[in-house]
Amino acid sequence: MRNRAILAACLLTVMVTACGSAEQPEVIEQIVVRERGAAPLAAAVSEGGDDLVALGEDAFQMCTGCHVIETGAPSSAGPNLHGVVGRVVGGLEDFPYSDALTASEAVWDDASLDQYLADPGGYLPGTDMLAGAVRDEETRAAIIAYLAANSVPSE
Amino acid sequence: MNDMSPEDKKPSKLAKWSRRGFIGAGVLAGGGLLIGIGVRPGNPIGSLASKVAPNAGEQLVNSWVKIDMNNVVTAIVPHCEMGQGAHSVLAQMLADELDAAWDQVQVMQAPADGSYVVSDTARLFAAPFTLNAADWLEPTWDGLFTQLGKSMDLLITGGSSSIRTTGQYQMRIAGAAARQMLVGAAADAWGVPAAEITTRDSTLTHEASGNSAPYSEFASAAADQSMDHTPKLKTRDQYRLMGRSKARTDIPAKINGTAEFGIDAEPDGLELSYAAVVRPPVPSTTVTAMDASRAETMPGVLQILNMGNFVTVVADSYWQAQQAVNTVQIEWSASDSPVRTMDDQFAVFAAALDEAGETGGNQAAARGDAQAALADAASNVEAEYRAPYLAHAPMEPLNCTAHVADGKCDIWTSTQVPLMARSEVAGTIGMGTEDITIHHPYLGGAFGRRLGSEYVAMAARVAQATGYPIKMIWSREEDTQKALYRCADMSRIRAGLDESGAMVAYDSVFTQRHDPAEACVPAIYNIANTSVRVAEAELHLPFQAWRSVDHSQQGFFIESFIDEAAHAAGADSLDYRLAMLQNAPRHKAVLEKVAEISGWREAGGEGTAKGVAIVESFGTIVAEVIEVDMSSGKPKMTNCWAVCDAGYVMNPDGFRNQIEGGIVFGLTAAMYGELELKDGAIVQSNFHDYKMLRMNEVPNIEVALINSGDVPVGGAGEPGLPPAAPALANAIFAASGNRLRELPIAKQFT
Amino acid sequence: MASFILNGQPVTVDADPAMPILWVVREKVGLSGTKFGCGIAQCGACTVHLDGQPVRSCSTSISQAEGREVTTIEGIAGPDGELSKVQQAWVSEQVPQCGYCQSGQIMSATALLRDNPSPSDDDIDAAMSGNICRCGTYTRIRRAIKVAAGQETARTEAEGEEA
Repeated sequence: MRNRAILAACLLTVMVTACGSAEQPEVIEQIVVRERGAAPLAAAVSEGGDDLVALGEDAFQMCTGCHVIETGAPSSAGPNLHGVVGRVVGGLEDFPYSDALTASEAVWDDASLDQYLADPGGYLPGTDMLAGAVRDEETRAAIIAYLAANSVPSE
Repeated sequence: MNDMSPEDKKPSKLAKWSRRGFIGAGVLAGGGLLIGIGVRPGNPIGSLASKVAPNAGEQLVNSWVKIDMNNVVTAIVPHCEMGQGAHSVLAQMLADELDAAWDQVQVMQAPADGSYVVSDTARLFAAPFTLNAADWLEPTWDGLFTQLGKSMDLLITGGSSSIRTTGQYQMRIAGAAARQMLVGAAADAWGVPAAEITTRDSTLTHEASGNSAPYSEFASAAADQSMDHTPKLKTRDQYRLMGRSKARTDIPAKINGTAEFGIDAEPDGLELSYAAVVRPPVPSTTVTAMDASRAETMPGVLQILNMGNFVTVVADSYWQAQQAVNTVQIEWSASDSPVRTMDDQFAVFAAALDEAGETGGNQAAARGDAQAALADAASNVEAEYRAPYLAHAPMEPLNCTAHVADGKCDIWTSTQVPLMARSEVAGTIGMGTEDITIHHPYLGGAFGRRLGSEYVAMAARVAQATGYPIKMIWSREEDTQKALYRCADMSRIRAGLDESGAMVAYDSVFTQRHDPAEACVPAIYNIANTSVRVAEAELHLPFQAWRSVDHSQQGFFIESFIDEAAHAAGADSLDYRLAMLQNAPRHKAVLEKVAEISGWREAGGEGTAKGVAIVESFGTIVAEVIEVDMSSGKPKMTNCWAVCDAGYVMNPDGFRNQIEGGIVFGLTAAMYGELELKDGAIVQSNFHDYKMLRMNEVPNIEVALINSGDVPVGGAGEPGLPPAAPALANAIFAASGNRLRELPIAKQFT
Repeated sequence: MASFILNGQPVTVDADPAMPILWVVREKVGLSGTKFGCGIAQCGACTVHLDGQPVRSCSTSISQAEGREVTTIEGIAGPDGELSKVQQAWVSEQVPQCGYCQSGQIMSATALLRDNPSPSDDDIDAAMSGNICRCGTYTRIRRAIKVAAGQETARTEAEGEEA
């Protein structure tokens, strides 16, 4: 009796696992951008190599693992960087900064961002920013230009 | 040695085999089971051989062993390797019974084939109390469970079961049977009595005649030997490999980057495209609108698909696919779940418990009259505990490589359930299981997560829709927020104590009961009146077994409560437990040993205190003492001592590694593990907010083992976990007087 | 085009300059020992050396590796394949369980011991706390580092036998 009851109870669990999703949803929409092997879209290649902000937007992709830059979007692993230029270091409310950034009263500007991005742990020892150092000077300048462009109120 | 021309011999021998049959009657005395389940009438032995012994000179001795011309013995193990070390230890068990030379033993993952269904695991999962059923029941149970196993696709790795079922009931028997067959073949050839032939290091020797030969010489002839259904297994004093800390066979590849995990699949001849996905933030919702205009312009993008219940971008690289899918604007249907926050979820639990009251709900276990004894008791203790939802968070994110072409489907993935995954794929893309092949290399952790296969079916759908071989990888965020979960729960426990403080009544009621069925019962303790009730309540997030399953919450509930009762009784919490274990000598010995090695009865350092807990799970008794230092006002774990009795440990070092890992897993959950809900969606997303214990936070861990002997062998993967959280919470109480009735702990000390 | 030195060999690949080293190494070069764990430099599974320094390759773009030396788990054994001291210790202490994080653990430990041949427990904490092991092998990692540093003796297989 006891065994049978337990058998039933356990089988249920296993079977639920086994059956999984029975219904098969249809493919609702399939957008084919290009076939495999076809040349990449020309439009995707950024033009105007001297547009620093556009270059910066591309370079910023490597930061998006940890940072968002959309106005008002919730921070992820790193703080939302919208408006970072001109903001007090460690100044975003509700973001759990490291003690190092919280303690600083400086304000981010092009120069301090340049030094920080070049070597975050060297510039602000104790920072939680373990990755994302940007060694290349031009890339750094582009990213900072992009950050600055996202730090002025949009008209 | 050259008589092994395989082409003409193999089929006939194998056919003879299956006729001769290690048939369903191959039942062992004392609760053992069939030999090599692949070899019974009607099984496709020929095709099996082609899958596992395809090369010239390889001889499949039975479905678990092959021996090649170089005398290399290959153990074909049905369980996957997800870090628990089962591949190695199962091979150790087989090789010991076979008297194989350990340095000539290789391990091979059994293919995802019905012939390798783990029928003993099926039995364990389906009826944990029947493993040692009376002999007369065996044929019935056996037939039932083999059929059950096949129909339910139970080629499964979980439940801390590999060693205690497949190892004990299949690998050892297969090894011993193969050895007898080799001896028989040599005896025939040499014209000497089989009893005079000795075996060691994969060599047969007949001393009197001076004959000696490697196994490979008789591997072919062995298959003509009749098969003993009940080969004599070694006794403990005869073990050469079992009980020894042999080095794991998978480690060399795991330190030089060559170990292949599911995510590393690069199938020959296939040019892969890569898929990244976005799944519904709230369970069971679907895509109502999708704007992919930005993604369409991004580099590397090939296709963007609205699959109904997820969105995917297929691109030339995973990174490009992930960048692009991040930009897709998706609207989701509304959820009809009433739960939007964890407060809502706990309110659902509380309502169910309120409705059950003091006697309602489904009775899961009862002994004596708990309600009457509670009423009559000198004093009562009661408490309510909470446990949160948890993610499995294996280090290898969920992933699957799929190729659908010419009416066939090939899948490469990390899975605990290859046959279930195959069935799920078959149902999803409308193919027969016979046309689907699952390739399953090492798993980068699983912890129960890879018992579910939705990610496999998703990849198959995308491969089918695009026509491309694709590798789908979930981001860590998808893995954390949109997967399957250890369930949250709430438990209310009451006890009645007599004048001396002894517990005479125990009553608990909670909302979740999954597996193992006995996890919720404080069965180890001698409490005259016990009532355990389940008041079922709906879960907002989908359930999946999580390392130690119900024990992960129930261990915390029960062992925290026993501590509270000890405190109410004015007793030392370890002595209080000992007093309730007077009829449980193994448990008592475990607890006494942990008291000894932890210095339980000696004063600790300033600001430190110790807590204890003991849980039996998956056949193994584990007691843990944890020491915390509260001098900073926050708990710092300094030491952990664990004592385990698994009956007999097949590989002590491997066993310890599993217990250490279980402790860290349990302490991680206890300190940090929590998934919060906002608008019905999970808030935590990655390791910055779903935190793991790190090197600087783990205590020193010392694990001692007791081999108490004549009992079924217990598991290793899960039993270290359940005592960890209560031992920690009890230590914090001892140090600070702060009783923690909910997890996680760290946030309660900020 | 990105050009760098990978495990001593010059490599040129056609890759988006912003693509993380992790994905270039795994998908473009085909070395799969470096693992993806979190994508945001939180878990350390992807740790490689860039000019000898440990970096999280999931969050370091290939443009930063231009002309520099990248070393992965496949590149730390000796020229004839003999295991490094750290790798040997990982074997003697039987560290790995699932093994998925261990490439990153070994790369972090290797960098630590090169800069600090006799690390204290605090040094080990500092160097290794960026690497998560979900299987919980931390106590063994610590011991293996000490074995590699010559501070403790390597475990032999006979140890750990029960009476």
